[in-house]
Amino acid sequence: MIASRPAARPLLLATGLLLALALPWMVYPPVALDIACWALFAAALDLLLGFTGLLSFGHAAFWGTSAYVAGLIALRSGLPFPVAVLGGAASAALLALPIGYLSVRLRGIYFAMVTLAFAQMVYFVVNQWRGLTGGENGLQGVPRELFGLDLSDSFLFYYAGLPLVLLGFLAVWRIVRSPFGRVLASIRDNPARAQALGYPVDRYRLLAFVLSAALSGLAGGLFAVGHGFASLENVYWTTSGQVVMMVVLGGIGTLWGGVLGAALVVLLNDYLVTSGFEGIGIVTGAIFVIIVLVFRRGVWGTARDLVRPRSGGGRRDRPPGEADGTPARPQGVGSPV
Amino acid sequence: MRALGRAAALVAAGATIAGCAGGPGGGGSGEKISDGKVVLAVLNDQSAIYADLSGKSSVTAVQMAVDDYKARYGGKAVVKDIEVVSADHQNKPEVANSKAQELYDRQKADVILDVPSSAAALAVAGVAKGKKKIFMDIGAATTELEGAQCNKYTFHYGYNTWMLAHGTGATVTEDGSKNWYIVYPDYAFGQDMQKNFTAAVKDAGGTVIQADPAPFPNDNFSTFLLKAPGLDPKPQVLGTMQAGGDLVNLVKQYNEYKLRDKGIGLAVGLMFITDIHSLGPDALAGTKFTDAWYWNATPENRAWADKFQAKAGKRPSFPNAANYSAATQYLEAVQRAGTDGADAVVGQLEGHTFEDVFAKNATIRAQDHLLTHDVSLAQVKPSSEVTEPWDYEKVLKPIPADKAFQPASPACKL
Repeated sequence: MIASRPAARPLLLATGLLLALALPWMVYPPVALDIACWALFAAALDLLLGFTGLLSFGHAAFWGTSAYVAGLIALRSGLPFPVAVLGGAASAALLALPIGYLSVRLRGIYFAMVTLAFAQMVYFVVNQWRGLTGGENGLQGVPRELFGLDLSDSFLFYYAGLPLVLLGFLAVWRIVRSPFGRVLASIRDNPARAQALGYPVDRYRLLAFVLSAALSGLAGGLFAVGHGFASLENVYWTTSGQVVMMVVLGGIGTLWGGVLGAALVVLLNDYLVTSGFEGIGIVTGAIFVIIVLVFRRGVWGTARDLVRPRSGGGRRDRPPGEADGTPARPQGVGSPV
Repeated sequence: MRALGRAAALVAAGATIAGCAGGPGGGGSGEKISDGKVVLAVLNDQSAIYADLSGKSSVTAVQMAVDDYKARYGGKAVVKDIEVVSADHQNKPEVANSKAQELYDRQKADVILDVPSSAAALAVAGVAKGKKKIFMDIGAATTELEGAQCNKYTFHYGYNTWMLAHGTGATVTEDGSKNWYIVYPDYAFGQDMQKNFTAAVKDAGGTVIQADPAPFPNDNFSTFLLKAPGLDPKPQVLGTMQAGGDLVNLVKQYNEYKLRDKGIGLAVGLMFITDIHSLGPDALAGTKFTDAWYWNATPENRAWADKFQAKAGKRPSFPNAANYSAATQYLEAVQRAGTDGADAVVGQLEGHTFEDVFAKNATIRAQDHLLTHDVSLAQVKPSSEVTEPWDYEKVLKPIPADKAFQPASPACKL
């Protein structure tokens, strides 16, 4: 949250909620849904990156697996779409258990590489398992129905899907503010000390990993149902890269920064697609470089620092968390409560 | 205005879902030309791997079709106001899906054209079906478009995997190269091609000695190339289903291992003239492949290619010409129907037979909305025979429309 004054907090939350409700009037409805899904995905990744200090470069595996599972459930069973999406999220959590179990004991770049490798394995399985996934044709024709109500209109679907996204955000928010979240922060800041205090560090990390994967799955499943199909793009490594980019743009460890980053990237991409400009990668890449160089804490983090120049009082925020092995910034204590 | 209307509806209905159902759908008015104009939207890859062979140059081709239509009918044209818009899907199915909705809803597109790569094409076909708007796919090769995933508003125009495999496989075999060794990329397109190719070779009386999957993407094909001459019996032709960057790598290595000198010819599943242009004709000289259209095959093609070059600065690839043809046939159907209402235009397109610069002996099949037309088996010229830029192909023999494309699939129910 930007302000430390408790009075400002409900105001900000209300503004955020209002924005979420008004979004499909401000932007094209399918784009609004994209923003909502990516925002939740970014928040889920931030749970791991900013609040646990683990940089996963394989989150597409969870987003994409859930996309396919949710799509298959909706397509084959005809269950209402929230069931399909929650089923997708559950499958992502299930997949995260073995992957997380094997990777959380690694640190820094090794963790990133191993998660990337697992995600690539998932990609190849999805690509090869054509009978189920449709290979590179993708899983097409996923219905958007709720108890016989046709939701194929994107405007309606946004409001039908929004509760799931808000539910996801509520979960992230609760996790970060819970005692469990505080343990995660202590592990991020000083794993050795947390261990010495008797916390089973790897188990905490694994649980954070699974939670993050489940929430990513929630977003991915909704994304697939919203678009009416799942494709290989969902499990490809560029998707993992894109969500990391969103979190970095918005500000690592700020939670809401990821939302801002997601909105920026999706809107910018949407604009560039019809602009007739050929070098889309050049524009997004340049913006990324500038933000990383100029606003080291991301857009949200920088804005927060401007609003609250030097918090000397009771609440102290530490700078965004870093994965182990990367140069550490001056470390504070406490968690962004 | 619509946003305001929707806002009012929402307030009135107390946020009940039914309240705004009428918002974006709408449009069932009695006017003959919706919104007073016809909008043709080109949705394709303008910045990633397919940008070269279609991309912006196809937008130019569609604009040419519009200009020619106006010139042809003048005052008698049913539509006076025709607009061409375009969007870049960067080869991402999700982007194609969202943009297609936006093109139909916001830009009032009456038809979407091109859309390369199968996942994106199938995603847009789903949108077309939902919105009851016309979609003419050119860039994608998958037969799913006229198979299980076909729908009333989707047309597949130009080529597909069946035509590529049967054109090359059957014709080369009939010309005496009976023994084949096939290398294919191990994903859906490659597997489809391999299956179709093997069937075509067998039907023509040949044998596929072996077919090996290669990883995709891949840059080292030496395992397969070294193995080829040692197979028993020795293959007379190496059939590769690789495309794009993989094809470039395979061809370069094929030349390094001098397989042609060892009596093993090369046949390519899918190749565009832009591939020959980037590799240089010598790297591919002698390679046989099926081409949907070649700019220098007839004086008529050439005349059109000259006009195209004046606008686009290069010679047209077959997707360029197919975009021109699809846009032309769409506008002609609107002219015949006297309206741009999608159902009436679909009725005019279905079963229509015609000839134009791209499509000869052409029929838009009513059963599955696949365009069938004459294609040809082509061979890449060595640079010694190339007389001008982009003059890379020799047309070996035509493949008539009824042999070039598969019979309508029973899986398609429109």
